[in-house]
Amino acid sequence: MKNIIETKQLCKTFSNGGRQSHVLKNVDLEIREGDFTIIMGASGAGKSTLLYALSGMDRPTFGEVNFCDTEITKLSSDELALFRRKYCGFVFQQTYLIDSMSVLDNVLAAGLLVNKNKKEVTEKAKEILNSVDIGEELWNKFPTQISGGEAQRVGIARALVNHPSMVFADEPTGALNSQTGRDVLDAMTKFNEQGQSIVMVTHDITSARRGNRILYVKDGEIAGECDLGAYVSGDADRHAKLRDFLGKMGW
Amino acid sequence: MEAIKLLTGSHFRKNKATSIGLFFLMILAAMLISSSLLLFTDVYPTVEREAKRLNAGEGFFRFTTDLTGIDDEYIEELMNGDVKEYEAYHCLCYPHISVPFGNGKVVMNIQVSGPEALNKKVARTEVITEDSSIKENYVYLPYQFYTSHSNEVGDTYSFELLGKKYDLKVKGFTNTTYYGCNNNGTYEFIVDDATYEEIFERDGEAQEAIVVTYVLKDGVKNSKFAIRVSNDLLKVNSNTNVNSVSLSSVITGRTFMSLIIAISFLAVSILVLLVIIMMLVNCISNYIKENMQTIGALKAIGYTSGNIKASLFIMFGALGVLGSAIGVLLSYVVMPVIAQFVVVQMGVPFKVSFSILPTAIAFMVVVFYILLVTILSVRKIKGIDPIIALRDGVAAHNFKKNRVRLDRAATGLNVSLALKTMFGNMRQNVITFIVTGVIVFLCVISLLMFENFNRTPKLDMLSFEICGGVVTADYEAKEEVLEYLEDRDDISNVRNIMNTYLYVGKEDKLWAYIMDQPSKLKNQNVIYDGRFPEYDNEIAVSGKFAKEYGYAIGDEIKLEYGDEKYTYLITGFLQTTNNDGKEALLSVKAAEHLIDFTYAPAAYNFDCDDKEVVQKVLDDCTDEYGDHIVGTVNFWEVIEGSMTTFKSIAALMLVLVCAISAAVILLVLFLLIKSFLYSKRRDYGVLKAIGYTSNNLILQTALSFMPPIILSVLVFSVVSYFAANPYMNMMMSSFGIMKANFTIPIPGVVVVGVGIVTVSFLFAVFEARRIKKIEAYKILIAE
Repeated sequence: MKNIIETKQLCKTFSNGGRQSHVLKNVDLEIREGDFTIIMGASGAGKSTLLYALSGMDRPTFGEVNFCDTEITKLSSDELALFRRKYCGFVFQQTYLIDSMSVLDNVLAAGLLVNKNKKEVTEKAKEILNSVDIGEELWNKFPTQISGGEAQRVGIARALVNHPSMVFADEPTGALNSQTGRDVLDAMTKFNEQGQSIVMVTHDITSARRGNRILYVKDGEIAGECDLGAYVSGDADRHAKLRDFLGKMGW
Repeated sequence: MEAIKLLTGSHFRKNKATSIGLFFLMILAAMLISSSLLLFTDVYPTVEREAKRLNAGEGFFRFTTDLTGIDDEYIEELMNGDVKEYEAYHCLCYPHISVPFGNGKVVMNIQVSGPEALNKKVARTEVITEDSSIKENYVYLPYQFYTSHSNEVGDTYSFELLGKKYDLKVKGFTNTTYYGCNNNGTYEFIVDDATYEEIFERDGEAQEAIVVTYVLKDGVKNSKFAIRVSNDLLKVNSNTNVNSVSLSSVITGRTFMSLIIAISFLAVSILVLLVIIMMLVNCISNYIKENMQTIGALKAIGYTSGNIKASLFIMFGALGVLGSAIGVLLSYVVMPVIAQFVVVQMGVPFKVSFSILPTAIAFMVVVFYILLVTILSVRKIKGIDPIIALRDGVAAHNFKKNRVRLDRAATGLNVSLALKTMFGNMRQNVITFIVTGVIVFLCVISLLMFENFNRTPKLDMLSFEICGGVVTADYEAKEEVLEYLEDRDDISNVRNIMNTYLYVGKEDKLWAYIMDQPSKLKNQNVIYDGRFPEYDNEIAVSGKFAKEYGYAIGDEIKLEYGDEKYTYLITGFLQTTNNDGKEALLSVKAAEHLIDFTYAPAAYNFDCDDKEVVQKVLDDCTDEYGDHIVGTVNFWEVIEGSMTTFKSIAALMLVLVCAISAAVILLVLFLLIKSFLYSKRRDYGVLKAIGYTSNNLILQTALSFMPPIILSVLVFSVVSYFAANPYMNMMMSSFGIMKANFTIPIPGVVVVGVGIVTVSFLFAVFEARRIKKIEAYKILIAE
């Protein structure tokens, strides 16, 4: 399978009071098309930093990120914004939906950036909302009028409306209870099965099981990786394999 | 574009209350700017426009006292060469006559004409309103009698001319350029033929006058022409009294207060615009702060900084365009009300008409500043890193200090927490401080105007000399009358103040006040620089005149009267609003170098604070000396009449400024508190969770706004106290007031200060009551 993202010697260093903290250390990595890549690691290991560096949301201190044959580390902030609207979708732990926009408008606000045909985008947005089980009765509600799980699924719809090359998810179930978290993961799994590439940061083993490739970050480096293969619901071996891998990594 | 439109709508929904608050401020600014520009460009030029329409030309001469040798042929010869068109007509003129006006009386030159005065071609007199059923025993009064609500058509108007009382029906009101305003010194009463005949028969010999109105040829300088005519005429008959009045001095006199109003309005509007600019910067800055995560999310999903900036720009731009449009339209609604007050003073008919230039300028100025400030304020969005934005703007370093430590605070808990809040919001404090300061200054200025033009008129700023009354005696009785007045116990400080024009070569002229000892003037403020003239070679001239011709104290000035010439030393500068700010003061001895006063009447000014006693003195004098008394003036009665126009304008200014100040301060507090509550909602949630009641928090919030308001009131009350007179100087220097010495009513300033603090506190409590709606649980679970 083709690589969508390739990094070379990716480094990220934070300075604070003359003290330097190397959060990412020479990370060389490839993310393949169609994969559901999971980034795991302990708190402060550099998982989110890696995710945001890969997506062009944050700039590395050193190194390259090639995303769909574009070296995004060389792009300006506006060029990065244009790049993200076309190639990236984001799902955050806190949904960051815009409170003053309805559910449908939140999705359209992203869709209309890429496709100027309002009718087409509206249809597409409705279709995606339906596919994440956000029915018509919720489309005109505001984010404060729906549940956390529903809001997160709207966030997924917003991330997918432009058919991005990659969806980046930063602990999307972190703020949800187990049932609503499962609904969100089901939605993401479904889209991955339809060919959508996803990179997700999580420290939850149940969420991680949904991925086919697990990367373990430790002290700013990729300490190991595990290939779980395509997700199959209720596969006990898969769970054991993952636990085994995480055990080896010191989880 | 669709996405940006969507975002713009979202911004508006999220900031509905703030946007509406700003919107009202924008409307207010546009309305005020448009109104002040309309005052400048439409109301203020009305007198000039009307003068042109009535073919007023450049001025008029009035020949009185002795008309021997002045016939139509001679006048034609006199005018020949310099004028394009002129008109001479005979009438009766009564100098310094006290007639009823407004709530009292005014002392004016009263020009009495027959109905043919309505047929003049140069400086036409036009009837504005009349009752044609009144056929006899009538009078047409100048329009100012109507605008000041002194009289209505059909009323009986009673006045006295040289001891004879006339009761005439008011047939109508006239629009006349030269004889229609109390500030210009002459009123024209047009009476029916029979009445005119009756008056002429009685007083014609002594009071007949010839009035010549003229339109000059291009390139002829009016002041030069007036002096040439006066000199030529005095050569033919030196006993003729020549009074020449220029159109420019008439316009200045009639528009004096309207210009002050226009300038005041403009100053208020500029300050309101500044407040809007500050509030806009604050609102956008708060918006960015409050919506940091949203901006981060928008950037994450692909919105560029330009897109986000454009959406805010469209929102505030649209509000600006709409607000300005409504504001300028509203200015046409309020204009008739404002114009009514101005028209009282101008005495000319005025109708509000659409004027494209001031409307367009007001609209564009407000829109331009709003767009400019928005562009500059939204720039910071570009620098926001999406990751930091998603963390709600929390960067690695924070230099916040704990300025009020609860463990060490000497104040109570509520006050300590209020102080903590205050120190944590320095930008809000600065804005509150400045806005309150501006409001305090505006209120002090309007209080000053109210105090000095309405409550206790500052007469020494408006009149050359203050006295209780004036008795003018002819040369035969002047010594006796002086003795009589000096012997009376009920009056004091009797001094003779004579007036005449002195000429500055062939260029200009000065209205001179001549008295035995100029330093004895009661109005010591009249000299604002230098000293009173003392010796026979000294003179004081008005500052406005000195500035125009470049004279300094110590310079010499050559003056002429008839064939006589004398060079004087300038010892000081006068401030005066009369005679176009061109006046002089000198001693009798000094004036005797030019004029022989043997046969001149004496005008005895005396002091007395009791209006009734003054009237008794005047009546006693008239009884005692009969025809030797040329005229009498009860100063207090005159002040009541002549202040009518100033009083209404000063009251209007006070009401308007107070209303605008209240609206601005409440809107600003509304915007600040609203944004403050939003940004502090989490803290309030936490404080409620740990046991603070809503009332505790409301009190803390309201108190946190008070220190900058109280400090600003204190600082700006003192600043305004010292800055108000220099500010009035700046505004009034063009009228001749060079060193304003207006009274600033300290109790009024204290009331304004206490009022601002109290109203602000109560409003802050009222606004902060929203805290009651904050539920700790909801806020905390939303985190």
